[in-house]
Amino acid sequence: MISQTTYVTRREQQMTFARNRNTVRYTKRSLGSISQIVIVSMLTLIFGLIYVAEGTKATGFDYELSAVESEITEMNAKKEDLAVERARLTSVAAAKNSTVAAAMETATVSCYVAE
Amino acid sequence: MSQSKILSRINILKYIVLAALEIIIVRLFFIQIIEHADWVAKADEQHTILETITPKRGEIYMMDKGEPVPIVLNQTMYQVVIDPTVTRKEDIEKVVNDYVKDYTVVNLDEVYSQENLRYAIVAKDVPREKAEEIADSGTPAIWLKKTNRRVYPEGELASGLLGFMNNDGVGQYGVEGSLNDMLAGKEGLLKTTADINKVALSIGNDNVRVQAEDGKNVVLSIDRGLERGIEEIAAATINETTADHASVLVMNPNNGEVLAMANLPSYDPNNYTEVTDASVYVNQITDVPYEPASICKNFAFSAAINEGLMTGDTTYFNQGYEIVDGWKIENAEQRSILYGTLTMRDALYWSLNTGSIYALKLLGGDPNSINQTGREKLYDYYHNKLRLGQITGIELIEAEGYIPDPNEGWGRDSTYANMTFGQNLGITMIQTATAFSAVINGGVYHTPYVVKGFYENGELIEEKQVEDVNDQVLSEETSTMMREMLINNRSYRKRAGVDRDGYAIGGKSGTAQVVRDGAYDDTMSELVGSYIGFVGPEGELPKYVIMVKMWGEGQSIDSGQAMTMFDSLSNYLIDYLKIKPGAA
Repeated sequence: MISQTTYVTRREQQMTFARNRNTVRYTKRSLGSISQIVIVSMLTLIFGLIYVAEGTKATGFDYELSAVESEITEMNAKKEDLAVERARLTSVAAAKNSTVAAAMETATVSCYVAE
Repeated sequence: MSQSKILSRINILKYIVLAALEIIIVRLFFIQIIEHADWVAKADEQHTILETITPKRGEIYMMDKGEPVPIVLNQTMYQVVIDPTVTRKEDIEKVVNDYVKDYTVVNLDEVYSQENLRYAIVAKDVPREKAEEIADSGTPAIWLKKTNRRVYPEGELASGLLGFMNNDGVGQYGVEGSLNDMLAGKEGLLKTTADINKVALSIGNDNVRVQAEDGKNVVLSIDRGLERGIEEIAAATINETTADHASVLVMNPNNGEVLAMANLPSYDPNNYTEVTDASVYVNQITDVPYEPASICKNFAFSAAINEGLMTGDTTYFNQGYEIVDGWKIENAEQRSILYGTLTMRDALYWSLNTGSIYALKLLGGDPNSINQTGREKLYDYYHNKLRLGQITGIELIEAEGYIPDPNEGWGRDSTYANMTFGQNLGITMIQTATAFSAVINGGVYHTPYVVKGFYENGELIEEKQVEDVNDQVLSEETSTMMREMLINNRSYRKRAGVDRDGYAIGGKSGTAQVVRDGAYDDTMSELVGSYIGFVGPEGELPKYVIMVKMWGEGQSIDSGQAMTMFDSLSNYLIDYLKIKPGAA
């Protein structure tokens, strides 16, 4: 419902030549209670959906992270295996027992060159 | 049906519904208020992971040609675990036969004969490749549990120094034991919401993730090649004698850096549980005080020289024995040519007990008797200046040993007379070698150390873990005089061609009697042989100190055998470390 009222501005009050001139003012339309509930519910639902969507997205990252961490662990284990193998192959015991070492002759110091 | 009957039934239904509601409300009250904590715990159990994050144990390195090389590493291994009430016997038998026969630790028949057994480790130390094959086989109800195994790729090398890590992940003996906290690092904590597969999720408000702090990679000052060579020489020497134990220490006398530390017999730390004699775990060099015998004459002589009371040319009358507190103390060397007036240089050369007792008398200001002043001065040099009978501070498990109080106890004079030639006291090899280093390096006591630094991001970060006392305990003149006398001790080794020209090699032997039933065994049926000496280019300060100890249960090992080992070791050092001869 539109309510109408006539009023005279201060300016018009001062302007005597503008008598009987009408002006219209519209009052603010307010929402009904049902509409408010519906809108709040919709907003809540939207925010809820956004939250769930973000949560799912974060969980998706968690799974990716977990997979990467597993891969890192796996690679580290392989790196450890290789480091151990390298250490075994380069150990002095292994070097001494190698065929190369077996073919070598004992070195002797013949002389030192004066500096 | 009449209207009143319908109303009555509706009322009954109403009461039933109300009663049901009340029951639900009461139950909810119990669940949410009274049993709140229990239900929260149950819920947490289902969707929360709470576990410690195990840090990586630090590796141990030795030096080789100036570069750190790993000698103790970690390796991820697996255990094959079953639940006998769930796992079918034929399944696990197939897995064992196909993949882990060599790693099986139980008898499956025995496992399956036990009622209500829900957990059994079938195989241990399974390598990753095998574990992957088992996982790929898709055998149901078989679990693979990761474990960390310590690997010692050099086998028995320096086992007495390194120690081992036990099944609980705790370092035992040696560096593993003494630096356990540093190597172990700090555990982390993970508490987070998880899904049904225990995958950690970031949702939730109470998630905690404290990262683990990995252990430090420790670099030892030990030279790997030198250690190996010395262990081989020591093993070869004891094989030629009746000794069954030997310990060898090589250190730099000018800064306290330990370069080799060998204990024989050794053991394989990879299989430490197979050791039958637990004494092989003990580092004899730092953890066992003993009587190094005549090696201590170096310290008694140094004290008297440092006090300005004698030189190598000072003379005394040797009658072959001394009577102290009613005890007859004899020289081991009783050649007739030695009776009469001798120099202190000769006394050290022939290792005469009467000579070192004379040094003690001189310390007391009375050449004819031992007195309180002499005892107190000797104690001051032994205990306070040369730090014998005190832990040195090296980063290893150490025994303190003991030096008797100069003014307490019975037979103090005879006790102190014995102390001049290394009896009636208890000191470790590391204490002895460190004190000896001060005697020959110009008089400065350096704290010994075995940790050179840490290995981080492929680089050696040098960082000593001990504070060097760097204490001038003897004068340079005293040190020079002692070096000259110790080189003189080996003059016959030079004449024999054992010691090469161009090198200053000095040394002193020590043969210790063992104590049986509270007294020294004069039958000499069991003796401990020791030798300490230095090597360096002629005309320069010694670069290396070598100490050898040899013994065997019920065996008479004299210092001559220890000296033979020293001969081999000193020449090996010259070759291995390429020590150039000095100008004569």
